[in-house]
Amino acid sequence: MAIAIPAARERRLSVRAVIPGVVLGLAAAATIYFISVPLAMLLFTVFRGPSDLLPFEPGAHFTLSHVATIYADPILYQAIVPDTVIFTVGSVALGFLIAFVLAWLVERTDIPWREGLFTLILVPLLVPNLVLAIAWIMLLGQNSGWVNVLLRSLFGFSSPGPLNIFSMPGLIVAQALGLVPFVFLLLCAAIRSMDPSLEEASSVAGARPRTTFFSVTFPVLRPGILAPAVLGTIITLEQFEIPLLIGLPARINIFSTRVFWELNPTSGLPNYGRAAAVSLPFLLAALVLLLLYNRLIRRADRFVTITGRGFQPKRMALGRWRWVALSAVLGYVVISGALPAFVLVWGSLFGLGAPSFASLPNISFDGYARLLSDPKLYLALGNTIVVACLSALIVTVIGALLAWIVVRTKIVGRSVLDFISIMSVGIPSIIAALAVMILYLTLPVPIYGTIWILVVAYSYRLAVTTRICRAGLMQLHPELEDASYVAGGAWWTTLRRVVLPLLAPSLAGAWLLLFIVGVREFTLPMVLHSPDNIVLSVILWRLFSDGETIQASALATLVLLLVVGVTVAVRRLFLPRVRGF
Amino acid sequence: MLYVKGLVKAYETADGQVRAVQGVDFEVKEGEFYALLGPSGCGKTTTLRCIAGLERPQGGEVRIGGAVVSEPERGIHVPPYARDIGMVFQSYAIWPHMDVFGNVAYPLRVRRDRPGRAEIEARVMEVLGLVGMAEMARRPATQLSGGQQQRVALARALVRRPSLLLLDEPLSNLDAKLREQMRHELKEMVHRIAITTLYVTHDQSEALAMADRIAVMAGGSVVQEGDPREVYSRPRSSFVASFLGVTNFLAAQVVDPSQDLVAIDRDAGPLRLPLPSGCTPGERVDVVVRPEDITVYSSAPSVAEPLLAGVVEHLVFQGGQTECHVRVAGEVVRIMVHPATQMIPGDRVWLSINPDRCAVLRRGGRSSGRTS
Repeated sequence: MAIAIPAARERRLSVRAVIPGVVLGLAAAATIYFISVPLAMLLFTVFRGPSDLLPFEPGAHFTLSHVATIYADPILYQAIVPDTVIFTVGSVALGFLIAFVLAWLVERTDIPWREGLFTLILVPLLVPNLVLAIAWIMLLGQNSGWVNVLLRSLFGFSSPGPLNIFSMPGLIVAQALGLVPFVFLLLCAAIRSMDPSLEEASSVAGARPRTTFFSVTFPVLRPGILAPAVLGTIITLEQFEIPLLIGLPARINIFSTRVFWELNPTSGLPNYGRAAAVSLPFLLAALVLLLLYNRLIRRADRFVTITGRGFQPKRMALGRWRWVALSAVLGYVVISGALPAFVLVWGSLFGLGAPSFASLPNISFDGYARLLSDPKLYLALGNTIVVACLSALIVTVIGALLAWIVVRTKIVGRSVLDFISIMSVGIPSIIAALAVMILYLTLPVPIYGTIWILVVAYSYRLAVTTRICRAGLMQLHPELEDASYVAGGAWWTTLRRVVLPLLAPSLAGAWLLLFIVGVREFTLPMVLHSPDNIVLSVILWRLFSDGETIQASALATLVLLLVVGVTVAVRRLFLPRVRGF
Repeated sequence: MLYVKGLVKAYETADGQVRAVQGVDFEVKEGEFYALLGPSGCGKTTTLRCIAGLERPQGGEVRIGGAVVSEPERGIHVPPYARDIGMVFQSYAIWPHMDVFGNVAYPLRVRRDRPGRAEIEARVMEVLGLVGMAEMARRPATQLSGGQQQRVALARALVRRPSLLLLDEPLSNLDAKLREQMRHELKEMVHRIAITTLYVTHDQSEALAMADRIAVMAGGSVVQEGDPREVYSRPRSSFVASFLGVTNFLAAQVVDPSQDLVAIDRDAGPLRLPLPSGCTPGERVDVVVRPEDITVYSSAPSVAEPLLAGVVEHLVFQGGQTECHVRVAGEVVRIMVHPATQMIPGDRVWLSINPDRCAVLRRGGRSSGRTS
């Protein structure tokens, strides 16, 4: 007996059918707005003068004077460009070398306690560069830095010295150590992705281990290893905190501090035009490097073959060197993480001066007391958390939608959108800050000087979340969603009940990463600061530069605790056994 | 050419020690095509890797061409690059940063006594011609299809003219049609150049079609060895019987061991089948018979052999044949008939079993030792 089949529901152009288009359209618009508009504004500013007027203020006109002043100024060629180059190349070279050795030891040798080392090496990722800079100054300051005190007492050097953090080598070392965890993470991923049978085939073909390394391992890994090096260069190019705290006192001016100086000259008004003009070559350099990075990544992807067989690559046997290697790695961990943390905690409780058992009874929570009794601290804490949470949320949502557009739809122009979002990596944060500042001084949107300008400014880092959500989406087979559509779920239901729950770990990871970046952020709030939107990192800098070292150390310690606490909590909740994401 | 004795390999994993290979013995004669056949996890790939030198066994001996390459008890382990072997990996392992020529020339270029450029060129082009890839010599490796990569991998393994060729499931990543074609080509080529070959696979039809001799492996050791026909028609355990092809296991009872009599169906009378030694009267055994060795009659024929009466339950059309499920004495027997058969479910049929084409297995695994 035939069963009556209900008539198929007619497809009406209902609101529900239009929602996906609208949402995606908004996401695309937001992307373009957050990234391209400020940049366009910046370019505009270069060519509009006079220097004390904003580009669109009445009286402004097109001019090449900024360009002329900056590029004719010999300082640019004698000091800024060379210093920036030396600083960047030096830090990247040193940081990359350390990161590569660490990554190789952890991924390709039988060094003991690998999992623990992996986590320990990554921990400094959480630490704001500002905090690191302060710790290094306390360790290596010429007069009372702990290491110098120790060396003087051991070897009889005379004060000041023998080591001086306020120098180019000091700057390079501090920056390099800050770069290592991130580059290490990327290198481990690249090394891990190599198919071990490529080396086995070489061995079977008759090549000795050395030949296999140079003829197979190295060439295959090369693009995957160079890519993090290039990315590290892009990141170093935009560094601000360490050059500000350590470079300026050493009279080393690199481009980011120069831009800042143009905006905060010791005398006179901020010179937007000149600041913009200085930014240009560095923006171009960053974008060129970004294109190089993209090419390398694509080449690396072509070289990676996925086998699925369970055989792990042969781990190099270190033999007698196992314990030497382990001690070296632990030594690095202590120097890069434990020591700075200790210096800060000690400094917050005992003040400047080298640690000794004799000073233990002098423990004083005075620093904390004064810090915690300052109402500005709570304002800053609130601001920091709100801005970091909100901007992370905004960027994660937009990033996820962008990833959706790029991976799941066939909308025309989605590769352009993707490119715009990738571009955001290449924008040094000082330039982003400058661009946002000019934009909102010009637009009749009253957010300048409030925390909302910070939220907007932080929200340009779309590349990271888009990448993470893309990776997450690509692991989600489209048929999971198709099954939902077939079972009767419309777009929103599918998203809510199938996609989002499965994507939750990627989303949480992206949010967490951006939250950490937001808490660490210093350049943007520094350039855009006002009494109302002050954040923790700016207070930290203020305290330190005012000489309130104990309070600064106390605050630094509290920031460390905050970031570690949130990371542990989110990992417990969303990412139960993810290995070092 | 290849001699393996008492090979033992164990791994340490998070869940304790895993004994992947527990005492494997076999020998491959010169020019022979020898297959290691078994399900996943039986230790066949590990055995191959031990022979290649990619794994260090804990015990046993491996000799290639008479020379000892591995003997852990005496501390001997010759590394892979010093063994006279060629190997094709399951993933092909084609180096992505070289072109086809570079991949194939590599084994010649890395040797201490590397031949001159002209000779390298000649030998590479010769072996590329053998696998049908001569026109693609300058193609970058990243632009090759799966089938092409496989040919290049084979050419690379053969270019040094090694004494032993090792193949680790080389056809498992190809689609069905290509796999059949490559099966044929591979066997042809290997025979033509008369190279000793060890082939690992989990596909029993592949092993049966290609090998001169097969070793069936399970749980880390060889459970039966012989040429394809022997292993197929004289399985010595229920595992081997069910792993190779389709098998029927018919429950039976021993009637009289001295006269080799068993009864499957008490009403039909006893069958005379070769019984393993040591059977006792009344003992329960299994009669192992392949579907193609059963003749089906739709009306009771007057033939000498005892017949089993049954009812057709199911017919499965498979294109070139129809599989027929017949209920006999409480069990289901699978037989193959011509696809144009007129049988329908419910028909009464009579089955005749060829006593020369069965084996009897005692419960517990071991069977009659008669060889064909």
